[in-house]
Amino acid sequence: MELRSRAIILRTGNLGEADKLLTLLLPQAGKIKAVARGSRKTKSRFVSLVEPLNLGHFLLKPGKTFYIFIQGELIKSYSGLKRDLEKLAYAQYFCELCEHSLPEGEPAEKIFLLLLAALENLEKDACPARVARCFELNLLEELGLRPALEACSSCGSKEGPFYFDPAGGSLLCTGCPRPHGSFPLSASALAFMRRFLKLGFYKLSVCRLPGRENKEIRQVCSGLFSHALGIDRLKSLDFLQQLAAFSPPK
Amino acid sequence: MYPESIARLIAAFQKLPGIGPKTAQRLALFVLSLPREEVVTIARALVEAKDKTRYCKICGNFSNEEQCIVCRDSRRDRSVICVVENAKDILALERMREYKGVYHVLGGAISPIDGVGPEQLRIKELLQRLQDGQAREIILATNPNVEGEATALYLSRLLKPQGLRVTRLAHGLPVGGDLEYADEVTLLRALEGRRDL
Repeated sequence: MELRSRAIILRTGNLGEADKLLTLLLPQAGKIKAVARGSRKTKSRFVSLVEPLNLGHFLLKPGKTFYIFIQGELIKSYSGLKRDLEKLAYAQYFCELCEHSLPEGEPAEKIFLLLLAALENLEKDACPARVARCFELNLLEELGLRPALEACSSCGSKEGPFYFDPAGGSLLCTGCPRPHGSFPLSASALAFMRRFLKLGFYKLSVCRLPGRENKEIRQVCSGLFSHALGIDRLKSLDFLQQLAAFSPPK
Repeated sequence: MYPESIARLIAAFQKLPGIGPKTAQRLALFVLSLPREEVVTIARALVEAKDKTRYCKICGNFSNEEQCIVCRDSRRDRSVICVVENAKDILALERMREYKGVYHVLGGAISPIDGVGPEQLRIKELLQRLQDGQAREIILATNPNVEGEATALYLSRLLKPQGLRVTRLAHGLPVGGDLEYADEVTLLRALEGRRDL
């Protein structure tokens, strides 16, 4: 069946001499792969449309293995993200996370909207890390992996300090037995996580996320992605680490 | 269907990019129709190219010697270095016959989603090359796509503080093309990069 839909390009790769293989995220059709024939040639009308992170209206028809890109129109190219290497790396991290966590061909309307909101916020936010943490937590929620952050999952105590158990996806108080792999979670990191899950990107720019809390939330999210989905290593995350070590002055 | 030797030749041609089973079969039958000497010449050329080609130790271009033909040429202007993604980009630029500077091949472009960062590219070699103080201008001729732009952005941030003139190839409308067929992004870039006449 022909697909006419908004879509965001998660990834592009070269295919053959002049084609591109696109990984797209569509609200109704979810994650799909499509071939854009001849799109690497400078003469192609769609050469600038089929670039990573572009949002557009796409017309696709089913092919033998992949969908075939017929035509499209650009809605937004997120040029602000593409002009900042750190933001570009974060945007591609969001795309890679979606790519690895979603099955092919399953409707993903909420995740599509979440990714768009994350990219919009990332483009205007001076602190990419807080957008990333908010995106990770909300993506986990949409995937049905929301961490239980209300009370100790063993005794129900609401009094901290707490530990986080990534295997169970929940909190444990100091009085309850803690499985191997659980780690301490500060009250402030917990408050940030609750806020990110409750309000999403709403007024995110007023949140000042300190480095320690950012690291703790990152540990919670990576633990959940690893335990529940087997996502242990993402290339864009490695790149972000490399960028921090090899970064020229801004 | 074919004798083993021909089938092997067809299979070998199929390994080439853009060659499907039909074209491979056509090429194999064409080779069979050639005189033996010509077949030997082709085969020798293939092996020789593979054995003798290496990368220039200065710029990373294809070469048969330690230094490539561009780096060996004393008439080349060493104050201008054109930075490209791959050695084949040099061939495209040389076809222009206008550029008289030298080159530097990065060996790819920065791509966060593919895990290609500055460390995987020949950026350290470029910085080492600049130590002699001959270079005045660096032309960033990476591809006009997300990866190429990211690489150019990174390099400009790295090189500008060193007091070098850092330029980027212009983006815009293709020569001989129609404005009405231009896409929005290209048109916007062309407008941004407009110049006085």
